[in-house]
Amino acid sequence: MELSKISVLSLVELVVACLLVIALMVANAIVMVYAERKGAGFIQRRPGPYEVGPWGILQPVADSMKLLAKQLFVPANVDFLLYFLAPVLAFLPVLLLFLPIPFGPYLTALKVPDGVVLILAFAGFGLLANLLAGYSSNNKYGILGAGRAVAQGVAYEIPMILALLAVVFQTGSMNLSDIAEAQGSAPWRWNFLCQPLAFFIYLVTLVAETNRAPFDLPEGESELTAGFHTEYSGMGFALFFLSEYANMLLVSFVCATFFLGGYKGPILDGFWWTFIKAYAVMAFIVWIRWTFPRVRFDQLLNINWKWLLPLSILNLWITAVIIKLV
Amino acid sequence: MKMLSAIWDNLKGLYSLLVGMCITGRYFFQPLKTVHFPRDVVEPENLASYRGPLELARGKTDESKTRCISCQMCAKGCPGNCITVVKSKEGKNPVTWLYDFTLCCLCGACVEVCPTAAIQFSHRLYLVSTSREALVLDLLKDLEERVAAGPLPAAGAGTPDAKKPEARMPDAGGPQKAAGGSAAPDPEG
Amino acid sequence: MSNFSFLNPFGVLDEPGTYMGDFYSNNFARKAQAGNVILNLGPQHPSTHGVLRVVVEMYGEYVVRSEPVLGYLHRSHEKMAEHKTAYGFLPNMGRVDYLNAIGWNWAYAGACEQLAGIECPERAEYLRVIAAELNRISSHLVWWGAFVLDLGAFTPILYAFDDRELICDILQRVTGSRLTMNYFRFGGVGADGDDLFFSKIRDFIPNMRERLKMYKALVTDNVILRRRLEGIGPMDADLCVRYGATGPLLRAAGVPRDVRRSIPYGIYDRFDYEIPVAETNDNFGRYWVRLQEISESLKIVEQAVAQIPPGKHIVDKAPKPSWKLPPGESVFSVEGARGEITVHVISDGGKSPYRVKLRAPGFSNLSVFAEAAEGTILADAIAILGSLDLVIPEIDR
Repeated sequence: MELSKISVLSLVELVVACLLVIALMVANAIVMVYAERKGAGFIQRRPGPYEVGPWGILQPVADSMKLLAKQLFVPANVDFLLYFLAPVLAFLPVLLLFLPIPFGPYLTALKVPDGVVLILAFAGFGLLANLLAGYSSNNKYGILGAGRAVAQGVAYEIPMILALLAVVFQTGSMNLSDIAEAQGSAPWRWNFLCQPLAFFIYLVTLVAETNRAPFDLPEGESELTAGFHTEYSGMGFALFFLSEYANMLLVSFVCATFFLGGYKGPILDGFWWTFIKAYAVMAFIVWIRWTFPRVRFDQLLNINWKWLLPLSILNLWITAVIIKLV
Repeated sequence: MKMLSAIWDNLKGLYSLLVGMCITGRYFFQPLKTVHFPRDVVEPENLASYRGPLELARGKTDESKTRCISCQMCAKGCPGNCITVVKSKEGKNPVTWLYDFTLCCLCGACVEVCPTAAIQFSHRLYLVSTSREALVLDLLKDLEERVAAGPLPAAGAGTPDAKKPEARMPDAGGPQKAAGGSAAPDPEG
Repeated sequence: MSNFSFLNPFGVLDEPGTYMGDFYSNNFARKAQAGNVILNLGPQHPSTHGVLRVVVEMYGEYVVRSEPVLGYLHRSHEKMAEHKTAYGFLPNMGRVDYLNAIGWNWAYAGACEQLAGIECPERAEYLRVIAAELNRISSHLVWWGAFVLDLGAFTPILYAFDDRELICDILQRVTGSRLTMNYFRFGGVGADGDDLFFSKIRDFIPNMRERLKMYKALVTDNVILRRRLEGIGPMDADLCVRYGATGPLLRAAGVPRDVRRSIPYGIYDRFDYEIPVAETNDNFGRYWVRLQEISESLKIVEQAVAQIPPGKHIVDKAPKPSWKLPPGESVFSVEGARGEITVHVISDGGKSPYRVKLRAPGFSNLSVFAEAAEGTILADAIAILGSLDLVIPEIDR
């Protein structure tokens, strides 16, 4: 009797958390579509969206209405099951990844002791969606994009894991709340200063993992038109779009938790600090997208295998030695 | 040694990336350069030499009369054959002056050959239409309408209204209204 | 692709001729090796700058063979010349190459003047040089932005258009239009520059020099761009000569050929400027040559504005629209933004020219692509295509 009561309660809690996370993802996409286009506009000295609503703030709404109303165009000879499954697969795992993130001291959807493992295990799931999308849509650009997406995602996951592992070594815990808690309130004790190399490696890999410029090769517009989602329109495209922004948000939250002190701040700890830090990282991602040219594919892999991987191993090794000595 | 130089190269490369980010970051805070078209248009000074569709110049003595003497020089010289001038039976003055803007390439041959300087370029930048027929302009009618709208403003007369886009669009109305498509042109093309 | 199946998911060619395409792709596919993919870049591909189409045979990401397919923007300018008067064909020249209208203006006007023996007034020659060099700068700016856009950076093209707008404003003062300019007349130019025209140029030159520094810091020195360009797309002098490639392509291959120097026309021999030459033979060489040309053109404009004498902008009794070319033929070359523009006019003394041949530099420059892109990966092939500075209307004419 007692046991079932608890499980029902926790189930309700989980469902509510999932709904909140979905709301967060959608709200984030709406905010980021607007912010990114405005940011790009200001960098390029034009106003960005301007016509829909005051200062164009209703632009994301108009965009999503357009995407909803668009015809779902299915090209000839596609693999129907995979073609429709791919956008859903891109969207769903991100939902799971948000659960262990500690937004605030008490605001965690799913308190699991090994949150890092959960995130890293399911982070690769989006890749599968990209692969299926490119493969099933019967398009040569799609196939090229899918191939690139897999090679890039698999490669960049390794230094990402190793960089995060260094922080885990330092903290001695795989619980994200513990990692945030261990960094304390003072900014100079946060991990981006204690683990500068890991922070740098993570910054590079997070751009690559989310397929954003300058590492946006799977969709490399000037080469592959739109890469793996060339043949998607309407809601299929919208789901890819949503998952891209959700992925960005996720890696930014992870970055905030691991390297920027999480919900801790100089004054008044709370979830607002997590959000401020995560959106600062998002702003950084947007900023570099509108600044740099795209790298070439072999260069992308060279950066990873020849520089980031050895550096992250070195970093891990140094961290281990220091922890052993101290 | 080679490895050291490669590391040094990459560090320099990272610095160059930082420099680039500083530049875009600086431009982020600088004022915008866009002219918001329907609300604001470019400076009238910029339009002073702009070649819009042709219009007939006002007469020297009687403003409502054209200077055209129907000599057909413009119609013959036009590379696109876009001008039709029909002479009246009584005198030299034209009865029909049709100008097909769809064929015009704004080269200025007609303006240059005209012996009486009867033709000039308008600065009508915003002429749009939804049909081809509406772009065959009757310039005599256009001249009448312009004269009826009022005398030529003195050069450099800076009225406070000059800030308003409507005031800056020279000779708004006229054939533009007749065209029936005075909606803002599609920015895509 | 009708041969799609799970055993053959990539649309791979098992046997030649199974590919469903038009004549060009079928013909191209006939020579393809089994297992390679035929990819159609264009005519609606984002980085083919309009309506160029390139059929590419690919092995993975590698380009094995490629073939540009032209003709999607053919407007028969050469045939039009045979139906118009010599004067009536002048406005067409602004439309052949929309980015370098003045260069084409000059080539055609020069050919006709040479045939008829018309001399330009001094002031007109200076105005011609100013307009041509400003137009060269604006053309290079568009190329710069579009090329960097091909490499994946979005922002520089808008900065380039910022500066290009200023040039458009300046040229609009005298030509009346911003893009398809029709400025040259036989025996001079269409309109004289006023004070505002010259003062705008004087303001523009230092402003542009400052912006060039910014371009260098933002793009040229960027390590990603450097590594995308250096050593990619070698086109040596021999290759360029074989295909007749001219302009920045040839100069980046170490050949200091510039029509302004080698066959001087107009008054280019009066100015102090250099012909930038790169020995590196690669994409970066072509990039560097064009950026240097912007600053050299600025030098020429600066000198021309300082030296311009008073006088008439067009000869007395300049040819009227009904003017007939005297019988004979003439060839005139100018250095356009993309390379050597040559116009060959043949006249039998009739109402319109008997034949006008337009030699577009882009056509020859594009022919180099198939050989240069062989064996590169797709991203590099796109970069090579961008570095050729293609304007499709000019290639198809």
